[in-house]
Amino acid sequence: MTTVTVHPTGEVVEVRDGETIMGAFYRTGYAMRIGCKRGGCGFCKIDVHEGDFVYERPVSDEVVTPEEAAQGVCLPCRAVPSQDMVVEFRENSLRLVNPLMRYMLSGKESSAHQPRTRVPV
Amino acid sequence: MAIMRMGYAHVRVTDLAEARQHYTQTLGLNEVAAADNKVYFKGWDEWDHHSVVLEEGGVGLVKFGFKAQYADDLADIENKAQAFGATTERISKGEELEVGEILRIHTPSGHLFDVYHDITSGQSDVGNVNPEAFPRDLRGIGAPALDHALITAEDVGQMERFLHDVFGYWTAEKVATSLDPADQHNIAIWMTASNQIHQLAVLEGPQSKLHHFAFRLEEGWEITRAADLFAMDDVPIDIGPTRHGITRGKTVYFFDPAGNRNEVFAGGYYSYPDRPMVTWTPDALGKAIFYHARELNERFTTVLT
Repeated sequence: MTTVTVHPTGEVVEVRDGETIMGAFYRTGYAMRIGCKRGGCGFCKIDVHEGDFVYERPVSDEVVTPEEAAQGVCLPCRAVPSQDMVVEFRENSLRLVNPLMRYMLSGKESSAHQPRTRVPV
Repeated sequence: MAIMRMGYAHVRVTDLAEARQHYTQTLGLNEVAAADNKVYFKGWDEWDHHSVVLEEGGVGLVKFGFKAQYADDLADIENKAQAFGATTERISKGEELEVGEILRIHTPSGHLFDVYHDITSGQSDVGNVNPEAFPRDLRGIGAPALDHALITAEDVGQMERFLHDVFGYWTAEKVATSLDPADQHNIAIWMTASNQIHQLAVLEGPQSKLHHFAFRLEEGWEITRAADLFAMDDVPIDIGPTRHGITRGKTVYFFDPAGNRNEVFAGGYYSYPDRPMVTWTPDALGKAIFYHARELNERFTTVLT
């Protein structure tokens, strides 16, 4: 289990082993700007400030260029955290669409990481 | 008639094994050959050697193939393409697996179109003598054939002229900024050279990009069943099942394992060269694309490979 913290709001989501960043946010009541969900379109790019990840499937250099990768650009639809991460979403793409799900899961799974702030819906 | 139909879609995928699973087990295509880092597929109701080529490494379109009716058509189309100002080249027989000599056109939209007449050809899976309605051992959705594609281009009007002048296509439907032909800016066009309501569509957008390529299904219920199978197989659905206002076809859009957008398409009305062209205005674009929801989702016009 790892955590992904959203900069600058401080929201924390726990990621199950082998789960993608996108999968963890979807499971905990969020929606995000997403395209093909297969690493092919680059529509969901986010920026990694801290931590590291591995891709569950190959990602083309044409989608995330080596320069972008070096700068910390990440595809959350394919990225599985290998350690706790701090990431930043682009253009307000992250929205909490199911506060109830977030609340229920936070109580059961995230006792050590209660949300510090709430992302505007 | 010169161009009969879109013959093949050649795309790149990041993981060939995973893509092979999608195209054979979910879409139900038959794998017909594998060579180098490419795998070749056909639908059960196609008689040419292949209609889909997957190449490992990256994502997006490599090229489309278009089958001409007669061998002489290649020279005629070559002359027209060069007169239009497009770059052309000839590819010798055998350089593309099971395909004869190819006229390769670098289109104004930045895509590669292969025009050919000769390709190893036989019969569909139900045969040519007393055929059954479909093979009883279909897998997945059992797509019978490749149907059409949508690409993007910076200058849609230029591509409309190119496809008209070089391929002999006519425009079945378009989205235009004005109903006055003298004051029109084309946002999107749907073109064909046969009763098939569209063989190729072009949407305003970046050069060289693929929006989707589509497989034919026969009945509306098959579209719903396809969506059910996509859910079972964890295939991301972009939109649908729904109907298009444009073409009236029933549809589901989804993504292959590399992120290339696919579509299954059923129905649509017949096209004829003398049928009056249908024009949609930009304020009705949502209804034109997704007849039921009547609004575009964010992905549809921006997610490309």
